[in-house]
Amino acid sequence: MITCTALRWGAPGQPLTPPVDFTLEKGSLTGVIGANGTGKSSLLKVIAGLQKPLTGKVSVNVPRRGGLAFLPQQQHLDRQFPISLQELVAAGFWGLQLSPQQRSQRLQAVLEDWCLSGLEQRPLMALSGGQLQRALLARMSLSESSVLLLDEPHAALDEEGQALCWKHIHAWHASGRTLVVVCHDLASVRHHTQNVLQIKSTGCLLGPSKELIRPQPRMQVA
Amino acid sequence: MHFAAHLWMPFFDFVFMRRALIGGLVLACSTAPLGVFLILRRMSLIGDAVAHGILPGAALGFWFAGLSLPALTLGGLGAGLGMAGLSAWITRRTGLREDASLAAIYPISLAAGVLILGIAGKRLDLLHLLFGSALAVDETTLSGMLWVSGFSLIAMTLIYKPLLLDTLDPLFLQTVSRLGPLAHGLFLTLVVLNLVIGFQAIGALMVVGLMMLPAIASRFWSRRLPVLIAVSAVLGCLSVWLGLLLSFYYSLPSGPAIVLVAGAGYLLSVVFGPVHGLLRRPPLLSSQ
Repeated sequence: MITCTALRWGAPGQPLTPPVDFTLEKGSLTGVIGANGTGKSSLLKVIAGLQKPLTGKVSVNVPRRGGLAFLPQQQHLDRQFPISLQELVAAGFWGLQLSPQQRSQRLQAVLEDWCLSGLEQRPLMALSGGQLQRALLARMSLSESSVLLLDEPHAALDEEGQALCWKHIHAWHASGRTLVVVCHDLASVRHHTQNVLQIKSTGCLLGPSKELIRPQPRMQVA
Repeated sequence: MHFAAHLWMPFFDFVFMRRALIGGLVLACSTAPLGVFLILRRMSLIGDAVAHGILPGAALGFWFAGLSLPALTLGGLGAGLGMAGLSAWITRRTGLREDASLAAIYPISLAAGVLILGIAGKRLDLLHLLFGSALAVDETTLSGMLWVSGFSLIAMTLIYKPLLLDTLDPLFLQTVSRLGPLAHGLFLTLVVLNLVIGFQAIGALMVVGLMMLPAIASRFWSRRLPVLIAVSAVLGCLSVWLGLLLSFYYSLPSGPAIVLVAGAGYLLSVVFGPVHGLLRRPPLLSSQ
C-alpha cells in the first residue's frame, strides 16, 4: 500500500537517515517510534505528499486527492481563527457527495463519537487542547480515505480521550484501512499495534511491535 | 434646513459627490472580505506593500499614455501582481519569510516609480497618486470600480470555502484538494485589482486604509467570520459616507477624511467593542 524505496528525507542537504526501503501492507496498523528529531513527523508529511523526499521514492496506492487523510500535530492551527468547532469538523466533508440530511446526521454521529456534543458552537479559542484534538480526529472520521496518517493523535488527550482514540484507531483498522500512527508512548504502541517502524539516525527497523519494543517495566514509585 | 437633509443633500445635488459616494461604497463592500482574509492570513501589511509596488507600473503607464485610466490600471496591475508574484516566488524558493521578502521588494518598487516619474519629467503629482482625490472620480473610473467590485465579490463567494481552509489549515486542504494555491493566487490578484482601481479614486495609500481599518475594527465585534465580513463592509460604507460629507462641508481632502473616519471607527471599536474591547468586562460566571 505504502512503498518507500531508497528514501531519504529531512531538510535540504541534511537527510535524517541513510536511504531506507520499507513497505506497509494494505490494511496494516503501524506505529512509528523514535526519539525527538529523528524525523517521524516529516516522514508522515513525505508519505502524505506534503513534503518532497530528498532522494528515493514514496508510492502510496490511493487516488491522488482524498485517498489519504493526514492528522498533523495541532500546533499549526491559529486558535484565534473565527470559526466554531462544528465548522472545523464539517470541513471533513470536503469532496464527499452527500445530501444535507446525510451530512447533518453524520456530523451529529461523529460529534457524539468523540464526546463533543454540546460544544458545536464554541469558537476555536474557547476550546481546550484536548477538545481541539478530538475535533481534529472527528474531522478525520468523516473522511472516507483508505490511508490514515496520524501524528501524535494522543497528544493533549486525557486518559479517557486516549482510550477513545485507540478505540477509533482499532475501528478504522477493522474496517480495512491502512494506518500509520506516530506515538511516544511505547507501552501503548506495543499493546495496540501489530507492527512498528523504529526510526534511528542509523536507519529504520520495521517489525512486529512485540519484538521491537521490550515490555515496559512498571514505574516504581517510592 | 433639516439636519437629516444635510446628510443626503450633497449627493442629490452634485454629480461628482454622487459618483464618489457610489464608487466608495462599492469599493468598501468588495475590500471588506479581502481585508478580513488578509488579517487572518497574517498578511495585514501586504496591502501597504502592494500599494507602493503599484507605483512604477502606474508611472510607466502615465509616461507612455498620459493620464488615461486603462494605461494606469494596466501598469499598476502589472507592477502590483509582478511584485506580489516575485516576492511569493522568492519565499517559495528560498524560505525567506513572506513579510520580509515583501518588505524588500516594495522600497525597490517605490523608488523605481519615483525615478520613472522623475525621468519622465512630466508633471504627474506624486501626492495625487498616493493620496488621490475621490472628488475626481469620472464616469470611466466609476464604471471600472463597479466592474472590479462586482467581479471580486463574485470571485470571493466562489473561493470562500477553499480560501478559508487554506488559511486555517493548509496541510488539511492540500490532502483533500488542489484548490489551495489557486484560491491563494486569485485572492492576491483580487487584492491588487482592488488597490489599483481604488488608487485612482482615493489614492494608493488611502485605499489601503479603507481595506484594512474596518477589517481590523470588525475583530472587536464578532467571533464569526461571515459577521466579521459584514461588520467590516458596514464600517467601510459608513466611513466613505461620513468622510465624503466631512470633506464636502469643511473643504477637506476626501481620501484622508474617509480614512480618518475609518480610523475613528477603529479606535471606538478598540474601546467599546464587545469582543476583547478595552471596556468589556469579562463575565465572572458564564451564563450557561
